[in-house]
Amino acid sequence: MILIRPVHGRLITGIACQALAALAGVVPFVAVAEVGRALLSGGPWWHHVMLGVAALPVRVVLLTAATTLTHLADNDLQLHLRRKLAAHLGRLPLGWFSARGSGAVKRAVHDDVAALHHLVAHSLLDLVTAVVVPVTSMLYLLAIDPLMTVITLLPLGAGLLLHARAMRDVTARMAEYHQATQRLDNAVVEFVHGIAVVKAFGQTGKAHRRFRDAARSYGTFVTGWAEQVTPSLTRSQLAQAPLVALLVVLTAGTALIGAGLLTPVDLIPFVVLGIGLSTPTLAISYSVQDLRAGRAATGRIEDLLATPPLPEPAHPREVPLGPARVELDSVRFRYDDGAEVLHGIDLVLEPGTVTALVGPSGSGKSTLAALVARFHDVPEGAVRINGVDIRDLPSAQLYRWIGFVLQDVRLLRTTVLDNIRLARPDADFDEVVRVARAARIHDRITELPDGYLTVLGDDVRLSGGEAQRVSIARALLADTPVLVLDEATAFADAESEAAIQEAISELADGRTVLVIAHRLSTVVDADQIVVLDGGVVVERGRHTELLAAGGRYAALWAVHA
Amino acid sequence: MIRRLLSLMGPGQATQLRRAVWCLGAAAAVQGVAFGVLLPVLRALVSGEPQRAWPWLAVLAVAVGAYALLHSRGVVAGRRAGYALGGVLHERLGDHVVTLPLGWFTTTRVGSLGRVATQNVMSVMGVPGHLLDPLAHAVVTPATVVAVLLFVDWRIAVGALVAAPVVIAAHRWTGRLVQRTDQAADAAGAEAGGQVVEFARNQPVLRAFGRSAHGFALLDDALVSARNAARRMLRTALPGLAGFVLAVQTAFTALLVLGAALAAGADVDLPAVVVALVLAVRFTEPLLSAAELGAALRMAAGSLDRIEAVFAARALPEPERSAPLGSPSIEFDRVRFGYDDRPVLDDVSFTVAPGTTTALVGASGAGKSTVVRLVARFFDVDSGSVRVGGADVRELRTADLLGLIAPVFQDTYLFDTTLEDNIRLGRPDAGEEEVREAARLAGVTEIVRRLPDGWQTRVGEGGTRLSGGERQRVAIARALLKDAPIVLLDEATAALDAENEAAVTTALATLARGRTLLVIAHRLSTVRNADRIVVLDGGRVADAGTHEELLERGGRYADFVTQRENARGWRIAAGRN
Repeated sequence: MILIRPVHGRLITGIACQALAALAGVVPFVAVAEVGRALLSGGPWWHHVMLGVAALPVRVVLLTAATTLTHLADNDLQLHLRRKLAAHLGRLPLGWFSARGSGAVKRAVHDDVAALHHLVAHSLLDLVTAVVVPVTSMLYLLAIDPLMTVITLLPLGAGLLLHARAMRDVTARMAEYHQATQRLDNAVVEFVHGIAVVKAFGQTGKAHRRFRDAARSYGTFVTGWAEQVTPSLTRSQLAQAPLVALLVVLTAGTALIGAGLLTPVDLIPFVVLGIGLSTPTLAISYSVQDLRAGRAATGRIEDLLATPPLPEPAHPREVPLGPARVELDSVRFRYDDGAEVLHGIDLVLEPGTVTALVGPSGSGKSTLAALVARFHDVPEGAVRINGVDIRDLPSAQLYRWIGFVLQDVRLLRTTVLDNIRLARPDADFDEVVRVARAARIHDRITELPDGYLTVLGDDVRLSGGEAQRVSIARALLADTPVLVLDEATAFADAESEAAIQEAISELADGRTVLVIAHRLSTVVDADQIVVLDGGVVVERGRHTELLAAGGRYAALWAVHA
Repeated sequence: MIRRLLSLMGPGQATQLRRAVWCLGAAAAVQGVAFGVLLPVLRALVSGEPQRAWPWLAVLAVAVGAYALLHSRGVVAGRRAGYALGGVLHERLGDHVVTLPLGWFTTTRVGSLGRVATQNVMSVMGVPGHLLDPLAHAVVTPATVVAVLLFVDWRIAVGALVAAPVVIAAHRWTGRLVQRTDQAADAAGAEAGGQVVEFARNQPVLRAFGRSAHGFALLDDALVSARNAARRMLRTALPGLAGFVLAVQTAFTALLVLGAALAAGADVDLPAVVVALVLAVRFTEPLLSAAELGAALRMAAGSLDRIEAVFAARALPEPERSAPLGSPSIEFDRVRFGYDDRPVLDDVSFTVAPGTTTALVGASGAGKSTVVRLVARFFDVDSGSVRVGGADVRELRTADLLGLIAPVFQDTYLFDTTLEDNIRLGRPDAGEEEVREAARLAGVTEIVRRLPDGWQTRVGEGGTRLSGGERQRVAIARALLKDAPIVLLDEATAALDAENEAAVTTALATLARGRTLLVIAHRLSTVRNADRIVVLDGGRVADAGTHEELLERGGRYADFVTQRENARGWRIAAGRN
């Protein structure tokens, strides 16, 4: 519950208001009871009526205040937590994302935080009412007649006991219930996403059957589950029913009056308040579920925040920006629990040269490039820029050194302008235009409905080649000494390709470039070609040298040509 | 609502639901009536003759017994009806969805269908399962209490009857306020959720440009505006909520004052006034919970709307029996087609002769994908006709039509099972040898070698463990295994690495042999090898013929070829310093 700390002042005030409101809510009931007593015993009673009336505005004001405070607290808490989560996520190794997918992130940052809403804004207040109302009523009743109070409490006690027992069964099988729901969810996902494929192959019956089986087994499970827990839950509900309370109160009252232990007048408060004692407790059985869901969500949020991020250097080193020499020194790497994918890579990228990584898919090209940008930390070996381990560079420094043009270009759902100046949000418009021209995309941008201010996304989509040129403009603006280029594998539309060629030449000029090449023709002119296979460097050299050597590269080239 | 649910259920399940409604309604009514016993008991006690109360207490005990019986029966029946309802809805959704045309399954629809089949079905199941019981107590009990009050003290009963509409009106008003602001808050929430997904999905690029740990303004803006929307909602909804509490409390207090005023009059039946006050208390309390239940019920009704909207989607009409089929040709005859109001194809005519390959080329948006989809009858044409094997696709049963076709599309969905099972989808009764052979031809064997558990590796939900190119190879293997006379191919726009590219090219050649092939082509080699090329431009056939014919004629196709030949990716030069 540490998570709630930032807003706990408001929460406590809200809870206090709610407690007072609950108290004010009991007052009219007491007033009714007192009016009844006074009427039957012939005493004065108008002041009781006045008291009941007076409690009304107090209650309304306090209730409103309590709800307002907890909701405001909830609003701010959500924002606070989401920001905190986003900041934390931004420092986790990228591998964390690829292992889980964006769905998991949305669940944590969005859904789990939203699940706290009920807990913070409603459940706490409901709980307060559920405690304050019966306790105050009980105190009042005790003052009237202790013995009768004890008897009145009997059904409530029995009800709580039965409820606890029922919940024990429920909790014990909650995990099973969640599993059953999860299985159904999975079957639904598979069914709805796969149906088009399955239909196209005329296998509708089969996929449909799988879904139906999952739905049926879910149905069987929940029905069985409900048959088991419903009777005990119903019994506990019955014990707390107002009608049962009425029977107990009237029977005991009649007996006690007959025995001369109670006056009829003193029975009235029990009839008014006694039979309503269990109402708030019934209501919290709903809140308890919210609480449980809230606690589970809190647990997941805390787990996420506890996931260790890529460590920031303890003694960060500032290195003046300039031509960069990148060095990979005996680099080994494995993903979380997988097999090792890089087995000791030694590689030097001299300042201002172009190095190309080639090799079959799965050979480790993309992983190697990702390590240079510190998307993951290397467990063994080191990546250095001008002699400094990149783990010793503050993360804010690192991205001034390394720029990236990724294979699968991601444009953000925002303006073209902001997409280009992603690395330098404060870059002025002229600079943006300059890099867009250099990336051969300026003319296309000016044709867009709102020019540079066009929001990319659902209405305006750029073709693959255009998107690529935007990402080149982005990298040009970032103007980093080191550049990692992951060659796009998509066929750009033809006129785009020529433009991309020019843009790439502009971009590569004077930088230390690492290219992940999928087409060998891309890299015949590179200063150094490094052939990776199965996580090791099998060959390196210039195109002509490698061809002459007649090894792996020469074989690849033969297939290619 | 109940009537809508009944109409969805089978007779057996409907009986359960009816029983639940009757039992729970009766239990709530018994509870209300039983409170009436209070008057004779109190009279007996006040008059100093407690023994006269006992028979009434016996009546009360009987009522409690009846209540217990009815209530537990009702709850059990309600739960059963709820789960039965869930089963029925799942079953009907499954049955219905498989009849819908392939064109229905857009990304948005598929996403919302997932929600319909889980969240919305659950929410509807909750109506008999969880809402019915509290609802009966919140509505039937107060109504019965008012009826009983009429006999106890009609003036207070009238007071209660006057108060009820006020409370209900306040509730309606609150509901509307909350709903209106809810929508605004939902929209802001959805935007924030979308930005979160984008934030996660774009981590590599955000990181590469240092926009991740150091604040990503788009996400932060969305989060702040979600917070502000929620806050605005609070400001609008709070007066409503406060007003509602005020209305209920005022009704309650008014009854108290009324009772008191009556008691002040001379010659009153005091026990009756006291009992009337007690009953009035019992009457107002459940109204508060009625408010919350009303909201839950509205949500369930919304869920039901969305479920019924799926049911309302119509399957394309099918004939009783398929028209006779000739050899596997494809013919487009003056086809005109558009999505909603947006025309896509206009007067498209061409023929693919049996056993030949036709390549579709054209800029994106020219209508290539739509042509291929119409062959598989994703949609029906607006005018003209699409004939497969000489028969109009509308005169073929879906199973027969799709039996003729092996599709290899780009967005291939893989099931989270083994590669082998995914390929076998092409023909479930294929032997292991046949599956392996198809896999070998499609270059899937290469992938298998790389995977940790080989053939037994699960490919992840939607095939996420495989790259796009790898997924397409699996799709080719499926098509090879299916061995249908017609192949619809949307050639991958993604280039494969050199070794596998060669494998795929061979696989496609094998696939084309002896089959009718309609291919959306991106590779020049594919186009060149086609028997016939159809050039689409803006939804019309701009030109058609063989490679040589088209080249000779010049025009669009010649442009296409020159550009393709010139553009073979970029080259990077050596460093210049």
